[in-house]
Amino acid sequence: MEKTIISAERNNWFPNFKEIYRYRYLLVTLAWRDIQVKFAQTYVGLLWAFINPLVNLIILSFVFGKIAKIDTGEIPHEIFTITGLTAWTYFSTLLSDAGNSIVGSQAMIKKIYFPRLVIPLSKALVGLLDLGITILCLIIFMSIYEIYPGSNIIWLPVFILLIIISGLAGGILVSGLSVRYRDFSFVVPMLVRIGMFATPIAYSASLVPEKYKVLYYLNPMAGIVEGFRWSLLGQGPPDPLMIYSILLMLILFIFSLFFFSRIENKMADIL
Amino acid sequence: MNKNTVISVENLSKMYHIGATSSRSLREAISTVFQRRQRIKEFWALDDVSFEINKGEAVGIIGHNGAGKSTLLKILSKITQPTGGSAILNGKVASLLEVGTGFHPELTGSENIYLNGSLLGMSRTDIKSQFDSIIDFSGVERFINTPVKHYSSGMYVRLAFSVAAHLNTEILLVDEVLAVGDAGFQKKCINKMDEVTKGGKTILFVSHNESAIRRLTSKAILLTQGKIAKIGSPQDVYEVYNDGLSMQSIKRYAQNDVVKSVKVYYDFNLKIEVDYKFQKENQLPHLGYIVSNRNGEKLFGGNPSLDNVKFAEYYRKEGKVIITVEQPLLRKGTYFVSIFFGNGSKDVFVDENCVSFNVEDSIDNLGFLRPTNNYEFL
Repeated sequence: MEKTIISAERNNWFPNFKEIYRYRYLLVTLAWRDIQVKFAQTYVGLLWAFINPLVNLIILSFVFGKIAKIDTGEIPHEIFTITGLTAWTYFSTLLSDAGNSIVGSQAMIKKIYFPRLVIPLSKALVGLLDLGITILCLIIFMSIYEIYPGSNIIWLPVFILLIIISGLAGGILVSGLSVRYRDFSFVVPMLVRIGMFATPIAYSASLVPEKYKVLYYLNPMAGIVEGFRWSLLGQGPPDPLMIYSILLMLILFIFSLFFFSRIENKMADIL
Repeated sequence: MNKNTVISVENLSKMYHIGATSSRSLREAISTVFQRRQRIKEFWALDDVSFEINKGEAVGIIGHNGAGKSTLLKILSKITQPTGGSAILNGKVASLLEVGTGFHPELTGSENIYLNGSLLGMSRTDIKSQFDSIIDFSGVERFINTPVKHYSSGMYVRLAFSVAAHLNTEILLVDEVLAVGDAGFQKKCINKMDEVTKGGKTILFVSHNESAIRRLTSKAILLTQGKIAKIGSPQDVYEVYNDGLSMQSIKRYAQNDVVKSVKVYYDFNLKIEVDYKFQKENQLPHLGYIVSNRNGEKLFGGNPSLDNVKFAEYYRKEGKVIITVEQPLLRKGTYFVSIFFGNGSKDVFVDENCVSFNVEDSIDNLGFLRPTNNYEFL
């Protein structure tokens, strides 16, 4: 028989993953809700998920292929930029969606109990659909340029996982902080805009002067975007310095989980 | 705590700060670091509450607004944490604090069943197996593939309650959900809850609906300002509750009269309570009333025939009739109640202006009524 003990001292130090596992169905349902709502009352429905990345691909290839030209080695500039942008878009969407998710679900939080962490976690699943479709379109697009993913592609899931961890690390932290301070909903879009320039999306990280390299790779997305691109295109392996940024990210992720658990019990009172 | 105890609550307390805004901007937080903290008032929504509930019991929680009823349910359903004390719940808990939380207007009825069910802790297989009976109970099967934003509010509530009513848990915490829906659906809900407790489940529910509490529960808890004022049978608890209402007056009658007593309570609502005893079984306790002012002018009144009330098939020989007049909007003054009690064919007991009550108001208005006036300046 299930037993619930409620006391003033109850304070989890870390998320109760056993409980989250029991609520796994809710996690999937919440993600599915977001996807359904996005395409509700549209005529072509899920087709929009394909139209958007395709239009982006065409516009970007025109801008970066024909107008702006930056040296990106053997890879055509448009392909180079588009692969980087794909990874960045998933990351930044996850960061801002997860960051706003708790405040956005306050009606539920005040009336129903469930592990609150499920809410930001579900946002990772939502974006995954878009990412999958975009990668599919991307691979078709690459074949036009006669670039095909090689054996490196087995690393792709690892880099996607790293994007998820990075996005969630920031997103979970912000979602918890904004329960009390709504200021963070202004901070995140700003960071995303700055981060986009500090990440090798439209340019190669090899252009960064050697003395700034360590500083540059403190941005965890720098290494991850390079790795993502490398596993798709098979060229330009990520800089070994990315190990530091990944370690930094893992520490931030664990800290976020820790912080979130501390504030979880108070959310319904503060929101 | 013996083995039949399902819910055991010990010294449970919850304190809120009032006057302090809970989510501040960062600037305020930084600037208050350098100041002495603002004086914040403490408010104990729940103050040292202890009780035990056994398996299969249906327990009603009653009390005025702000007495701590909802706070108690919020703590027991783990939504908020107590400031002090503890509670142990043996068995799977489901709570329904508001009908339709988590419903998304853009999604269809059936999509919302899955969403709401999973929010309430049901697994996919649970929902699948209950899906047809949920739709059946709600009575909205024709619109089940329509987005719920196109539903009428009645349909919306019916669907939402149906999902919750099919939760398969040992303990159910329910907050004032019977206040919604039409009379027919309310009856259906009460029957469903009755069925659930008969099946050995434990229900703890908050309601302002006295007849629902009397009908469904074996035990009631009265909360007053966060403290337990009385635990006991619904009968006993309502006696204490009603005594606590303001402006009470009472008149008792002789043993051989049909009407034993008339009680009147005024607390924004007017409540007239009559105890009766017939000589024969199953006669209609047909109670009518008239309220008059000081000058003997009749202001309003009613009886079940005038109000087109559907009569039940059976009435007890000895019982109680309660008339609640919702917000009669009386102005300051003294009022008199006349009682007309009969068995449906003729009045067998009439006592004019038998009890009086006072209405206190800071404003002495014109005329007979004191409506709520809203002003707009454009």
